[in-house]
Amino acid sequence: MIEQAPILIVVTPLLAALFITIIGLYRPLYSWVLTIITFVITSIFSFITLKKVIETGTIRYMLGNWPAPFGIEYVIDHLNALIVFMIAVVGLIVAIYSKHDVKKELGDKIPHFYSLFTLLVTGLLGITLTGDAFNLYVLLEISALTSYALLALSKGRAYIATFNYLIMGTIGACFYLLGVGYLLINTGSLNMTDIFVILSNNPTSYAVLVAFLFIMIGMWIKMALFPLHSWLPNAYTYAPTSTSCLLAPLMTKVSVYVMLRMMTSVFNYNYIFNVLGWQTIIVSLAVIAILAGSIFALRQDNLKKMLTYLIVAEIGYMVGGAWLGNANGFTGASYHIIADGFMTLCLFLAVGCIIYKIGDAQISSMKGIFTKMPITMIGFLVGAFSMIGVPPTCGFFSKWYLISGAYEAQAWPFMVALLISSLVNAILFFRIIEVGYFQAMPNEDPEAHPKQQKYNEAPISMLIPLLTTAAILIGIGLYTSEIVTYLIEPFMDNFL
Amino acid sequence: MEFIINYFNYIIVVIIMMIGLWGMLALSNLVKKLISMAIFQTGIILFYISMGAKIDSSIPIIKQAYDEHHHPIHQVINNADYANPLTQILMLTAIVVGVATLGLGLALTQKVYSEHKSLNEDEILESLS
Amino acid sequence: MIFGLDALSLVLILICAILALYIKDLMGSVIVFGAYSFLMCVVWTCNAAVDVAFTEAAVGAGVGTVFLVSTIYNTRRVDTYRKNRVLKQLFMFLVVCVVGSILLKTITDLPHWGDAQAPANTHVSAYFLENSIADTHVPNVVTSVLADYRGFDTMFETCVVFVAFIAIFALLRTRKIPAKDLTPPHTPVDSLIIKVASHLMIPFMQLFALYVVAHGHYSPGGGFQGGVILGASLILLAISYDFERALEYLNEKKIILFVALGVLIYAGIGVICFFLGGNFLDYSVLSKILPATDTIMARSHAMLGVEVGVALTVMVSMYGIYLCLSSNGRMDKGI
Repeated sequence: MIEQAPILIVVTPLLAALFITIIGLYRPLYSWVLTIITFVITSIFSFITLKKVIETGTIRYMLGNWPAPFGIEYVIDHLNALIVFMIAVVGLIVAIYSKHDVKKELGDKIPHFYSLFTLLVTGLLGITLTGDAFNLYVLLEISALTSYALLALSKGRAYIATFNYLIMGTIGACFYLLGVGYLLINTGSLNMTDIFVILSNNPTSYAVLVAFLFIMIGMWIKMALFPLHSWLPNAYTYAPTSTSCLLAPLMTKVSVYVMLRMMTSVFNYNYIFNVLGWQTIIVSLAVIAILAGSIFALRQDNLKKMLTYLIVAEIGYMVGGAWLGNANGFTGASYHIIADGFMTLCLFLAVGCIIYKIGDAQISSMKGIFTKMPITMIGFLVGAFSMIGVPPTCGFFSKWYLISGAYEAQAWPFMVALLISSLVNAILFFRIIEVGYFQAMPNEDPEAHPKQQKYNEAPISMLIPLLTTAAILIGIGLYTSEIVTYLIEPFMDNFL
Repeated sequence: MEFIINYFNYIIVVIIMMIGLWGMLALSNLVKKLISMAIFQTGIILFYISMGAKIDSSIPIIKQAYDEHHHPIHQVINNADYANPLTQILMLTAIVVGVATLGLGLALTQKVYSEHKSLNEDEILESLS
Repeated sequence: MIFGLDALSLVLILICAILALYIKDLMGSVIVFGAYSFLMCVVWTCNAAVDVAFTEAAVGAGVGTVFLVSTIYNTRRVDTYRKNRVLKQLFMFLVVCVVGSILLKTITDLPHWGDAQAPANTHVSAYFLENSIADTHVPNVVTSVLADYRGFDTMFETCVVFVAFIAIFALLRTRKIPAKDLTPPHTPVDSLIIKVASHLMIPFMQLFALYVVAHGHYSPGGGFQGGVILGASLILLAISYDFERALEYLNEKKIILFVALGVLIYAGIGVICFFLGGNFLDYSVLSKILPATDTIMARSHAMLGVEVGVALTVMVSMYGIYLCLSSNGRMDKGI
């Protein structure tokens, strides 16, 4: 069973989604329990796989028992083992969190929600595990289609926002497909390792450059790098709470992983940094992304929309870090995938609790929220400190690596942008602390309106995931050296 | 002229893709955007299929594979006699994904219409601001 | 590869594509798009891609056009809002020209169209052509690669169809009747001609579809094409008769059950292989439980099994999507 663990990570949620659909026809309320059981099993399998990768190195799994370039292959190495575990854990946390919220917002569509939820996580897990370029496209489309449906299950402005996301997302996926087509026409193979070998032997041609360009542009659209980010704020703001808690930490980060995978395991370092030499342009683009994301976030009054602009800025960190071209930058980028995933999860969970209790996410209506919902705000504060970069949370360590990488590569604009971004995050979050803690609640008749009650905390099933995530943030920070030594450095040795 | 004959399909592929891409970005009617999306995707499919075509070849079904008693005949198969099957399989998947996205886009369009009573992006944005 | 027909069809395709975007009436646009799709099938047949042309004819030109028409029926046929968008359209035209010129510049670097020695045609696909019969006893190489060598991809493709149906169902299904009905007044189709014609066509369509599924190993065809034709026959039933009568044959619960069952058959075969000791979707180990087959024939039989699963999901999914789209989720009356 142990050597089948890699495929079970993907097959378990797939089968579970089918069973949730079938059982949901007759007993809709069982779907929540089934989802949780599925994610527990998936997390266990991904943990087993993670341990095996640390002990023995890269695992390769042949599907259908066909050897590598002829069949599809799953490759688990140091880069994606931890990301797979992160996706499974985030799925579990959001599944537990979603119970009250889904019942309140969705009513009789509960089994469909959990079925789509599970399939989304299946798609994301598959993208992270696969070693075949076309398989990645199919899984990218599964996660995209499920995300469109999950985002549109709300009311009002969600529909047009999701339609816009559909158009942009399809352009991104089609550009990726076009890039894979150019690779196929030059190499004749779809397996990532095989393409790597063929490309390192051949002199580079213009077609390979175009393949790289289109794959990168496709992934930049999917990860919302400025200026291709216009779909992100609207799509995530008007979505149902559980959906945005699941999508915000995962979708863009998995696209960043795909970019890293393409840069390291398909095209090689020499080609990207020495032959093409685009790093100055891309790092400048990342600087603009960070600054634009921070400035737009300052102008928002809606807390959720502010957080989506912060996602845009964080993507700038990762793209800039990866394209610096040195070990520290790349370490920072891959560590930041994990860190940012959990940070975003923590903040969105907290905002979800606030919306569940108060009804909207406007900062101006959060007066006195620290006395009303203290536990929620503790979780929110840990996430906020991680965004700003306060030790010992993980945000501090990822900024440390990124700034060291910028210093080594003498990319001064990038370093300055990182520092400015921390400052802006501090301003943003202290603004919320000022409204929530220092401004008193408006004095009104306590019996008149339920939301003016003194202590009105979110339900336990929403608080426990939030506090667990906050603990994970601190835990990842404390274990940074282990993560870097066991997981990121072995990968760096192969790459650089 | 040589250039056009050697690369005819590829040139047309680029033109079709650009028509589709322009339609998705520049038109304001939601259904027209979806039709442009379908045009863009069929352009990419044409690219892959043209990649796999071979001059004077037949379809990728092996001829005379079985004799009258349903035993497989051993034969040496010449690669150049049959078209490339790999690109065709990839494109079967791409067509199905394309129609799934089209269906979902159409469902979203109906939802947008029932909410905003309009199919024009500009009109909807004006009514929202 | 038939150059003359290919060139002529491509010129017509360009005209159709430009027209489809230019015509103001959406219904006209959709009909021209249907013609575009059909001409694409002709081009692909000229390029020796018959399975792909088959699928596109059934899915793109057939079912896709029906979906578009259902949406226009439920929304609005002509867009009356006019705003000056010339500046934005010019900007997008420039962007598109830049992208197009990058792509056109690459073309000289590519192998010639139709080159049998190009890398794409030699490395991996040569192995498939040469060993398909030896490995799987299936002459249709497209089916053997689709269902066996790259069967995992196909499983996720079936999943995509499943997701599309569940997503559209979850989005559109409502149980409340809107106060002001937005759809045009429904005139029930009571035409004798349509009813008699569909009486004659539907059984033959379904029989042909079953043939396509079963004979996919030896002739162009397979699970997807057969499933879509079956779905189209059910849509024809819903259009020619009453919507409610069609729902009686396959109601909502059965549709959801079957769509999940199809993917379950596919994944289930994979899991059985897994329990018998092989890797996931390694059909050769199925020879332990199938009577009187060796490992190679086990692959052939398992391929038929997964194609049946695919056909089931695709059939029910296409029908279900049509029901949701044409009735705007209310499931009471359609086109």
